[in-house]
Amino acid sequence: MTPAAALRAALAVEALKLRRSVVARLATALLVVLVPLASVGMVALARSPQAGGPTAAKLADYATGDLATVHLVVCAQVLSVAALAAGGFFVASSFGRELESGTAGALSGLAVPRGTIALAKCLVALAWIAGCVVLTVAVTVAASAAVTPGGLTAGTWGGAATALVAGLLGGGLALPFAWVATVTRSQLGTVGALVGVVALTQIVVLLGGGSWFPYAAPSLWTGMGGADAASDVGPPHLLLAAAVGPLAVGAVVHAWRRLTDV
Amino acid sequence: MTVLALDDVSHTFGGRVALDHLTLAVRPGRVTALVGLNGAGKTTALRALAGRLRPTRGVVRLLGHDPATLPADVATRFGHVVDTPLVYPELTVTENLRCAARLHGRSRRDAEAEASAAVGRTGLDPWRHARAGTLSMGNRQRLGIACATLHRPAALILDEPTSALDPQGVVLVRELVRGLADDGAAVLVSSHHLDEVARIADEIVVLHGGHDVGRLQPGGTDLEQRFFAMVLGADTAAAGAGATGTRTGDRA
Repeated sequence: MTPAAALRAALAVEALKLRRSVVARLATALLVVLVPLASVGMVALARSPQAGGPTAAKLADYATGDLATVHLVVCAQVLSVAALAAGGFFVASSFGRELESGTAGALSGLAVPRGTIALAKCLVALAWIAGCVVLTVAVTVAASAAVTPGGLTAGTWGGAATALVAGLLGGGLALPFAWVATVTRSQLGTVGALVGVVALTQIVVLLGGGSWFPYAAPSLWTGMGGADAASDVGPPHLLLAAAVGPLAVGAVVHAWRRLTDV
Repeated sequence: MTVLALDDVSHTFGGRVALDHLTLAVRPGRVTALVGLNGAGKTTALRALAGRLRPTRGVVRLLGHDPATLPADVATRFGHVVDTPLVYPELTVTENLRCAARLHGRSRRDAEAEASAAVGRTGLDPWRHARAGTLSMGNRQRLGIACATLHRPAALILDEPTSALDPQGVVLVRELVRGLADDGAAVLVSSHHLDEVARIADEIVVLHGGHDVGRLQPGGTDLEQRFFAMVLGADTAAAGAGATGTRTGDRA
């Protein structure tokens, strides 16, 4: 069996498991429905004459500007975190449950090696999250078009591109949690680590070190920390965030090749 | 040629000795049974042979290779069920078998045919489209064994293969194992069921405290008696060796 044939077989198996995964189904529905609703809804709330108090203050950035463009800005901001959370939950379940239930041991001594299976899991997770991000942005654009009187503008498409990049970066940043799941052998432990990293990101941003912190850079770039923080994030910071995914894939494949006591 | 081999293998979990200088060889066409009390080291020995555990010391060989780094063409000739089978509860019986066949190196078309044949062979036809998570424990065990054997391996390891099976399932697994051995496969089985072992095995290895404490001849009506006599003998010998060691230490 050639390495390419082994990868094809592992991809087929992992794709089938993805289709049957409750976590993936739930996360897909939440991303594709909730993110567009939040994007359109928060802008509507910001521009509502009834908005007031702390809510209006928090949503002040969304109260002005081209309506459709702002919808996509909000989409990008929410998606940069939501894709990380969805991807993190999925890899926690995909990798962690094999080690918790013992099927990781049953995956030993097969014609398709464990390292190839781990690679296939990562590729399937990436493909799934990328698909979710594209679909979420598409639904947001459609929803925005439906509620924007003047139709979509060039700014809308720029916002859509930002949302796509931010979502894909967020999804890539979920892959290190596959390694966490492998090392901890626990789905819940991995989710705990995900929550911890999100909290740590908040602290790093508060301390002003966000642009070089991969987990903060995509959100800051979308304007979540304000215009000044967004202008501090450039291609080197985003490339660093983008490099996390491939590095994590290498670490996970290595860890699965060396698994013992499973 | 030895297909499954442990050579002077020892392993500890923390400070607890699981295997102690165990040497074992299984040849083609033979069914070797490992019997022993709980904690004797049976499952640890099988896990080492299946590449699921790197032992602390000693050499493990599976079809002449280190099981932890089995080449793909060699792995296509190996099957095992130790502890958890290669069964996913969210997949149907047929899907599980198809996945197992793909992971055993079969093409998509061959996997389809082998999965279908395995369903019939293991009596799982009524549950062909049922999710594995909805199966009874016995049928799940049948499915696990089917996933490990659908590619007709030349080396097979089964840990307690009949523990949850009904009498029909026991006969089915017995025939499957004997059939594979008759075709030249080397089969290593662990079991608590001495009667079952007597029917299936060509050779019975008794493990106790991680040691190989002797061989039992299959057959006869007194297998259980002989097993306990051997275990008791091993305990007595170990106690005697300990007492001798203490006396030697006293003199020193």
